Amino acid sequence: MSFRRPQRQRRWAFRSPAGAALIWPAAVLALSFSSPATAQGNVSKAEADAKLRYCEVCHGVSAQGFHGYYPIPRLAGQPTEYLKNQLQAFVERRRTSNIMFNVGHVLSPAMIDALTTDFNELNPKPLGGAPKENIDEGKKIFENGIAAANVPACASCHGPEAKGNGPFPRLAGQLHDYITNKLTNWEKERGQNPAQPDISAVMQPIAHTLTQPQIKAVAAYLSYLE
Amino acid sequence: MRSLNSIQIGRTTRRARFAFLAAGILTFALAGAVSAQHRISLSGDIQAKISYCKDCHGVSAQGFNGYYPIPRLAGQQPEYIENQLRAFIEHRRTNNIMFNVAHSLSPAMINTLTAHFASLNPPPIGGAPRQLVATGRKIFEDGMPEVNIAACAACHGPEATGSGQIPRLAGQLYPYMIKTLSNWDKERGRNPTVPDAAAIMSPVAHSLNKSQIEAVAAFVSTLRSPRGTPNTVQ
Repeated sequence: MSFRRPQRQRRWAFRSPAGAALIWPAAVLALSFSSPATAQGNVSKAEADAKLRYCEVCHGVSAQGFHGYYPIPRLAGQPTEYLKNQLQAFVERRRTSNIMFNVGHVLSPAMIDALTTDFNELNPKPLGGAPKENIDEGKKIFENGIAAANVPACASCHGPEAKGNGPFPRLAGQLHDYITNKLTNWEKERGQNPAQPDISAVMQPIAHTLTQPQIKAVAAYLSYLE
Repeated sequence: MRSLNSIQIGRTTRRARFAFLAAGILTFALAGAVSAQHRISLSGDIQAKISYCKDCHGVSAQGFNGYYPIPRLAGQQPEYIENQLRAFIEHRRTNNIMFNVAHSLSPAMINTLTAHFASLNPPPIGGAPRQLVATGRKIFEDGMPEVNIAACAACHGPEATGSGQIPRLAGQLYPYMIKTLSNWDKERGRNPTVPDAAAIMSPVAHSLNKSQIEAVAAFVSTLRSPRGTPNTVQ
C-alpha cells in the first residue's frame, strides 16, 4: 500500500462558523471509527487513481471537460482551493446538483486532497469548439472590463492568464457553453443556500450586468486560452 | 471466319448505335417527365428504405425481439445513429448485417432516415421485471459514488433522451441494454485504428455487476420520452 501526500491533509477550509460547528463533531466521530491509516487521512494511490478515472468519465480525458447531456466543466489546472470549496458547496447545497451532491458526499478529506492536487497538475489542451468571431471582444472585456457599464476586468480576480487563484476559478480552457450557462443564470447556479453565504456573491452583480453577447464573447475567448 | 466475325460485330455496332440514338431522342423528349418521376421515385426509395429498417427494428422503430434483441431507433439522436452507421462501416462495431445495410446508404439517405427516426415516439415495448425499476432509477440518476460508478444521467440526460453522439436510452429494449453493457468491449470500439467515444463507457460498463446492469436496463426500458422529438440541447 502506498500513501500519498500526508502533509497536505489538513487544508480543509470551512466556509463559515456555522458550517464548522456542524462538520467538526461529524469529523471527530468519523475519525474515532476509522482505521489508523484512514484516521491519518491517507489514501492509497490505487484508490485515488480509481477515483480520478471515475471523475474523468464525465469530466473528460485529462479532465479537459466534456459535452455530456450538460456541458461538464474542465477541472484540469483548477486551483485546489476552488475545487475543494465547490465540492463543499455541493454537499452544503450552495450549488444544487444531485449528481455532484452524491459524488461530493462520499469523498474523504484525504481523497479530496489527493484529487484536487491531481486535477491542479493536469494541463491538457482546451476542448475548443466555440465560435471564433468574437474572441477579440472577449479578450478586451476580460482584460479591461467595460468601464462604461461598471463591469470590472475579469483579470483582476481570475488573473491575467485566467489561471485563477485560491477560491477564484481558473477560466482558461473552460468549456464556452459551461461559462455561458453559469454567467447567464448566476443566481441559480451559485449561492443557493442562504444560511451559507459564500464568495460567489462577488460575481452576482457582474454576471447581471453583462449582456448575452458580452457573455458569449468572454466565454469564447476563455475557452481557447491555454 | 474472320470476315464473318467482323460482319457480326458491324451489325451489332450498328444496332447498338441505333439503340443509343433512340434512347437519346427519348431522353430529350421526356426530360421533364423523367425528372419529375425521378423525384417521386426518390421519395419512394425513402419510404421503401424506412419500411426496410422497420422490418427488423419494429413497426414504429420501437425495437423488436428478433433472434437478437434489435434496438429501438425511435426518438434516437440523429448524430448517434449517423455515428453508429459509420461505426458498422469502419468495423468499430462488428455486425455483418448492419455493415451491409449501412454500406448501401447515401449521405442524403442517412440524413433523411435519422431525422425520421428521431421524430418517432412510440411507447416502449416493455417486458422488463418491474421489481428492478426502482434500483435502476437510483443508479441511473445518482450513480454509485462509493464504488466509482458515474450517474448515467450526467451524459444521457435526466430523462435518458441522449445528446449528440450520446444515445437516448429511454424505451430501449431490456435485453439489448443487458447484452450491450455486459459485453461492452466486444460490442463497441472494435477498431483500434479508429478510436471513438465508446471508450468513455468502457470503465462504467466494466464496473457494473450483472444485477446492477439488469436494474438499469429495466429502468430505462420503461421510460417514455416527455417529448415527441429528442433533446438536442447542449
